[in-house]
This record gives sequence, C-alpha cells and structure tokens, in this order.
Amino acid sequence: MSKTRPSDFGSFWYSVGKELAEVPIAPEVESIPMRSTDFADLYGVRLSSIGPYRLFGYLSIPKGDGPFPVIYYVPKNASVLEIIPQGTSNQIRSRYITFSLACRGMRNSDSPYAAMYPGQLTDGLESPETYVYRGIVADTIRGADYIMTRSEVDKNKVGAWGNDNAILAAALHDSITHVVSTPAYLFDPIESLTRTDSYPLAEFGDYIRSNRSNADTVQTVLEYFNLRWHAQSITASTLIMADYKDGIYSPETLSDLDELIPGEMTLHESERSSFKDGLFAENWITSEMFGKEVSPIVPEHWR
Amino acid sequence: MAPDPNYTCRVEKPGDFDAFWEDVTKQLEKIDIDISCVLDEFRSTEDISVYEVFFNSLDNIRVSGWYAVPTEYTGRLPGLMLVPGYQSDPPIPKEWAKKGYACLSVNPRGKVRSRSQFDPGYPGLLTYGIVDRNTYSYRGFYCDAWRGIDFLLDRDEVDSQRIAVTGSSQGGGLTITTAAMRKEVKAAAAGAPYLCGYMDAIELTHTYPYEEINDYLRHNPGSRKAVENTLSYFDGISFADKIKCPIIVNIGLQDNVCPPETGYALFNQIASKNKKLYEYDGHGHEAGRYIHSRIVDEFLEEHLGQE
Repeated sequence: MSKTRPSDFGSFWYSVGKELAEVPIAPEVESIPMRSTDFADLYGVRLSSIGPYRLFGYLSIPKGDGPFPVIYYVPKNASVLEIIPQGTSNQIRSRYITFSLACRGMRNSDSPYAAMYPGQLTDGLESPETYVYRGIVADTIRGADYIMTRSEVDKNKVGAWGNDNAILAAALHDSITHVVSTPAYLFDPIESLTRTDSYPLAEFGDYIRSNRSNADTVQTVLEYFNLRWHAQSITASTLIMADYKDGIYSPETLSDLDELIPGEMTLHESERSSFKDGLFAENWITSEMFGKEVSPIVPEHWR
Repeated sequence: MAPDPNYTCRVEKPGDFDAFWEDVTKQLEKIDIDISCVLDEFRSTEDISVYEVFFNSLDNIRVSGWYAVPTEYTGRLPGLMLVPGYQSDPPIPKEWAKKGYACLSVNPRGKVRSRSQFDPGYPGLLTYGIVDRNTYSYRGFYCDAWRGIDFLLDRDEVDSQRIAVTGSSQGGGLTITTAAMRKEVKAAAAGAPYLCGYMDAIELTHTYPYEEINDYLRHNPGSRKAVENTLSYFDGISFADKIKCPIIVNIGLQDNVCPPETGYALFNQIASKNKKLYEYDGHGHEAGRYIHSRIVDEFLEEHLGQE
C-alpha cells in the first residue's frame, strides 16, 4: 500500500480546530491535598473537549514564585492516568508544572465512553470523521489550550512528553516549544504492522483481518493521523526516542521524521535500558530548558 | 553506589501469617469459580486462538483475563499464567501461545475489564483499605491471581503437572505470592519484583507507585503502625519461605521503581533450593528484559518442556 497524504488533510484538521474553538474549556479545578507536598500542589482538573466531552487531568504546580516551565504528559494509549510517569522522581514537580491528561476513554475520562485496551485504536475506524482518534487528538490539543490559560506557566518552555500524541500536540498547537516522543503506532501504521504482531499496532491487524474489504478504508483513515504528514508542522525542539536498531520504530525507520521536522531534532536509538534511555531524555529536556550547567532531577537509583 | 546484595528489609513476618492466609484461601475456595471462556474471533489468528475469560474470585468479584492457545498441538500443553504490572493493561498473551503454551493473562480486580465491582483507581490501589489486613486491596487482588491457576487446572488442554507463572514489576510480586501459595506451580520467573519490602522501598525511592504510600502516610501520620502491620501480611518477603519450586529472579541495579535492594532481600529469603538471581547493571525497571527474555524461555522449557 502506498502512503498518501489525504488531499483534504489540511481542511480536516482545520475543521477539528474550529470545532474545538467553539467548545469552552470550562475548567473546574479541585485541590488534592493527599498528593500535595511541601514542594508542589496537586489539583484535579476537569475540562471540555469536542463532543462536548468532559476530560480529567492532574495538574501539579511548584510552590514559590513562577513562572515555571511545563511538562505536558499527553494522553496515551493505555487505561491508567498517572500524575507523572511511573519511575519519574516526584521531586520533578518542584521544578516543572506538570499536567497529565486522560483523553476520552481512559480511566477518569471514561464517561460516557469507556475504551478497552486493546480496543481503543479501532473504535469508529470506518471513516476519519467517526474514528475515535479524531476526538483523542482534539483532547490532546485541548490540554495544551488549558495549560496556556495558567498564569504560572513560562510560555517559552512548554514541553509535550509521551508517545505519538506528543508529536501531534506539537504539530497542531503552536504553544509547544519542546517535544519528547516515543512513537508507538502512528508512524506509517499500516506498513509498520506488517513487521509485528505485537500490540498496540496489532489492533489494526485484528481489525483488517476481520474486515478485509475495508483494508483500503483503514489505510485512508489512518493517513490523517500518520505522524509523517504532521511532522512538517513542528517547529518545537524535538527529541524522538527510537527503538533499538532491530525494533519496529528503529532509527532507520524514523529517519524520515528527522528530515521532515523543520525544527531542531534529535533522534535517539534505544540502548535497551530504561535507565540509560530515561537518563538521556531527562538530560535532554533539562539542557534544553535550563542549559547544560543545570543537573536533571532524577530518581535515587539513577544518580 | 552499587546496592548491597546483603540488604535486609525491616519487614517481620507476622506470627499468624499462615493462619490469616489459610482463612482467606478457605473463603476463596467456597466461592464457585463459574468460568466463562469464549472464543474471541476478532483477536484470534490462524495460529492462535484467543479467548476472553471471566471467573469469580474472593468476595464474588468477577475477574477477567485473556487466554491464548496455539490452534495446533499434540498431547497436552504446558500452562503458563502471566501476571500484570501495576499500571499496565494486561496483554493478550499471543507471543506465549506461539511458543507452545496455553497462557492465561489475568486481569485482577480494578484493572481494565475487571473494574465494574471494585475500582480504587490509580493512584489509589496501593493504599486502598491499607489500615486493615482484612480490607486491604491486595487481599482480593492476590486471590484473583491465585484463581488463575484454578482456571488453568480446569482446562482439558493443559497438563496440570506443567504449570508456571511469570511476570515483571507487580507481575514479579504476584509471581512470588502465587508460587508461594499454589503448590501446582512447577516453575516461576519473577522480574523486578514489586510488593516486596514496601516500607524500605518508600525510603529508598520517591517515585510512583510506591510514592502512594508516602502520600498516604503524610496525609494520615497516625496510621503508620497500622499500615506497617497490614503490609507485613502482604509483603512478598513474608511469602518467600513458602516458595519451593524452581525460580529465577531478575533485577535492574538502577531500577527506579522497585529498588534493587528489595530484590536482593526477597531473593535471599526464598526457600527454594533451585533458585537463581540475575542482576543487570546499567538497567532500570525493565531489569534487562531484552537479554533476560531468552533466559526465561530456556528456564520454562527446562521445567515445563517435557510432557
């Protein structure tokens, strides 16, 4: 199958943005004392996205005078919403505003739509308009909208961190200044699934196997979400965390992103160690936002 | 600084530990398992049949799972139970079925597809009901994993003499408790074991999910003694002297989630005479998975390979 940017790609995403702009963010912010510390306060935030659909996120704000840089942990393809990713030093909340958002279907944002995992990636895949990921991307953009309403935010340092949605956030929201992304399923998805039977990509394989007559439609729909076609809109400084050289999203596979992203881009090949890869990413974001003389805040066993 | 391989955790096994769990398992045995195992054609392939599973567990909680078996086999299959991490969604174990196992991936209470009756959330699960051993979330959660063994024993295609359990992180912790409590388990492979040395872990690291306990104690400072008492019944180290089957454990020496010190403390307490620890320097919570997966394959083949 050939990779083709849909002819109405721009108008499709323009309509999503327009629809989103017509929905008030309508935030409700509630303190969560149990997760607040002497260095950061935690809040639960409810806000609206297209549908309209009510979402939930965790907002952590450092104590003291801002403005503070932001790490926006974008929605992921998993049921659980974390305050900060598992294994991240909690002290990171003393340096950054962190905001993690559950897109529609994830736990805490699962009414009325409770996604299954696996299952989320193929809901409504019959057309780009009905595909659930249209709403998920809108939710991701809405999270950035909300961040930019906060007076504590240093608007020159807004990082999007996560899987594929971090790239989509940076491509579709011009407030994102930095990206740390580990692509997992939306870079040339149809071509990629031929190289694996592992989830989440295998979700597309399950769907196509059960709906063989719709294979071309699936390809067409997914092209609207293919990172390849979004990359050219990214002006943020970007770190792409690739797989090891024999992985699905190896540096070789993702090298096209390097060429397509106009902003500054670093492509890191996994060292097959969550310690080494994690340390690389923490060093990168710290250096980008604070300069090389500042040390990253890392967990005890990484020091 | 390298973690001390002789590190000892402060947990003390309660004197009535066995009586407590005997009572719990008796309650579990009284509950009709009522298995539902339905072929999921959407997820099945030419090589692998995938089934969506439900069964009853403690407190009549309906627990789900994914069961995958090769479509073609002769004789009976070795059975494998795959136990999940804390926040991850339990996978469909097609890769294990491809290797020739009848594999159940169990979704204990509160996880996706098993949340309709019990759902303390994330963060939340680790401290739910933590001031009382009889209300603590993991009382039922452990039982849900143990019931997975009953599911495998119920399957005609599974050789009941060849059953193993494996998992990493929380799956490593559940591997420990399941191997301890179910004599039918003939081999166990535990990675980066969580739920071991809780009270040490919350001082050795300040990352979630263990940080949930620090949050709780900061918010409920008067509950420390009750929390310590409850956790002593659930600590994998308290279960370790009941493990008699062959077992391998792998840890990452730069593990930022489950401190390697607690992995050492656990391993040193395991009673099995056939045990081996694999330490991966330069590795974090993945605990050398890319290197170690081959070792797990060979270990399971050695202990379950022959009918």
